[in-house]
Amino acid sequence: MKKLRSRLRIVDVVSQAVRGLTSRKLRTALTALGISIGIASLIAIQGITEANQADAKAEIDALGSDFLFITPGTGIGEEAELLPYAPAMLDTHIDDLEHVAAIYTVDARARRNELVPEVQTGGVTVSAVTAADLDLLEPVNGSVAFGRFHDTTSVEVPSVVLGSLAAERLGIRHLVGHPTINISGTNFAVIGVLNEFEILNTDLNRTAIIGLGVADTLFETPDNPSAIYAQVPPEQLDDVRDIIPAQANPAAPGEVAVSRPTEALEIREVIDETFARILQALALIVLAVGGIGIANIMVISVIERRGEIGLRRSLGATRKHIASQFIIESTVLSLLGGLLGVAIGVSIVFGYARYKDFEAIIPWFWLSVGLAAAFALGALAGLYPAWRASRLDPAEAVRPAA
Amino acid sequence: MSSAVLELRDVSKSYAGSPPIEVLKEIDLKISEGELVAIVGPSGSGKSTLLNMMGALDRPTSGEVLIDGTVVNGLRDPSLSGVRGRRLGFVFQQFHLLPGLSATENVATGLLYHGTRGRARKAAAREALERVGLGHRLDQKPGKLSGGERQRVAIARALLGDPAIVLADEPTGNLDSQTTAEIVELFLELNEQGSTIVMITHDQDLTRSMPRVVEILDGEILDGAAAEPDTDEDDAL
Ligand SMILES: Nc1ncnc2c1ncn2[C@@H]1O[C@H](COP(=O)(O)OP(=O)(O)O)[C@@H](O)[C@H]1O
Ligand SMILES: [Mg+2]
Repeated sequence: MKKLRSRLRIVDVVSQAVRGLTSRKLRTALTALGISIGIASLIAIQGITEANQADAKAEIDALGSDFLFITPGTGIGEEAELLPYAPAMLDTHIDDLEHVAAIYTVDARARRNELVPEVQTGGVTVSAVTAADLDLLEPVNGSVAFGRFHDTTSVEVPSVVLGSLAAERLGIRHLVGHPTINISGTNFAVIGVLNEFEILNTDLNRTAIIGLGVADTLFETPDNPSAIYAQVPPEQLDDVRDIIPAQANPAAPGEVAVSRPTEALEIREVIDETFARILQALALIVLAVGGIGIANIMVISVIERRGEIGLRRSLGATRKHIASQFIIESTVLSLLGGLLGVAIGVSIVFGYARYKDFEAIIPWFWLSVGLAAAFALGALAGLYPAWRASRLDPAEAVRPAA
Repeated sequence: MSSAVLELRDVSKSYAGSPPIEVLKEIDLKISEGELVAIVGPSGSGKSTLLNMMGALDRPTSGEVLIDGTVVNGLRDPSLSGVRGRRLGFVFQQFHLLPGLSATENVATGLLYHGTRGRARKAAAREALERVGLGHRLDQKPGKLSGGERQRVAIARALLGDPAIVLADEPTGNLDSQTTAEIVELFLELNEQGSTIVMITHDQDLTRSMPRVVEILDGEILDGAAAEPDTDEDDAL
């Protein structure tokens, strides 16, 4: 009797499982979906987050040095003002600061022309620069899209440089025909439009910049700067940062807010990262629920396929053969879901990269984690159904259903 | 003298309950090589239970089951499964074909647990299908086959691997009388070609053409002579 051992080839174990699944296509597809969604999310979330971070990092790196943004702070009353001569103080007393420039908020409304009601400013604000701060574009890391920035003459006459969004809102697309805009009743010649600020100083996108001299004569204009921009070599950053408040507002240094716009980017990165982890935890839960779904369907399958199990036992299948069939089926089912999930996830990553014009980053780690999880979940989900199937009494299993 | 390929010695089977139900009572039965035996009895008389004992699908409460001269009721699952797969062929009333597989693929599963390669399995399956007269239906799925054709596929599957004995439990139970006659005819042919076959039925009419008939009632074999194959029992009916 020793020769009468049942034997099942490994390739047959797998092909039987695949046949079992492909003969129930719709059920297989629906059951695998939970795993697919879980893994697709896992990969997509990571891929999108990494692409965003890589982009932000590239932009920060491209800036090359650090910028400081000095404002009066949130305090109320006169103490919170930056001193009118603060920019000059900073420039002369802190050697390491490069390109210090202040802007002054002007209480005026910008419109395309007289005919547009004054309330319709389209969100455009008006700020002014002094003749001493013609290098404003340096510390704000800006550049001119077309036309030019202010020079010593333009700040003394009604002329204006527009942020990208301000230009759009006011309908300025080019300088052909010397366009003008109306600022609280006076026509200003548009002499230039700035490129869009993408990550830093995005406030300037909606600003119309005029000369302080003109602003002073025409409008209500404060003596105190509303903000000071400065550029610092990264290694001096911390030292410089500490001594700025005393120079900018000696009376109330505590009121002065000195921030690093790039810091905000870094914080955003951390938040993105945290958010991604939370979403991925959810994706893992979806994955686990997908696994439970597979276990569920496999248990039903064992009940439905009682006759098939009986037949296989009569054909010589051992308990182990029956158990392996269900475990492998469950694992293959889960892996199919996993592979579909990888395909969907990677497509999303590529689609996003294309949409954002980023470089696509395939999150290999999470891709592997997802597939490994699908494998493990599938095997795990198959354990109990496989045990039940293998425990079925052959005589019971071949008996016609009552 | 022809050797017994299958022998039941004093086999009883009870199912748990209060009181326990004794379905088979001290059955003695010997099937020799080359025999075609009909086991007949009314519904509930214990025929399927008897076939389960003969097919090592279940273990007797007491007594011995010998297949090829070896007592199998003490064997552990892997050996028992091996005996079923290698020495026995089964045909069931409800065919038990896998719906997703073609006729050839279904028949080929007869060698699946022999560790035979797929190619060889299919070749043997085609040959067996020719034998049962289904050479023209090789690639059909069960859904496209008639009841009689399905049962022929199941019979071809049972023949694969050259079993010592084919056990058929009500193989015509789901078929009309015309088809039933054809299946009985097929069993007679296969028997002539050398297969040892046990066919269970509750239909007395079917047993007319059978060389040997064992009648069972309430778990007992009616005719004492039926336990021995070599006498002519036609007059017992
Ligand atoms: N697993 C079981 N548990 C309890 N009783 C059973 C079981 N299997 C069969 N029986 C009983 O044994 C008797 C014989 O059943 P069976 O062998 O299927 O008869 P047949 O095939 O001749 O119709 C019936 O009364 C049936 O109810
Ligand atoms: Mg029965």
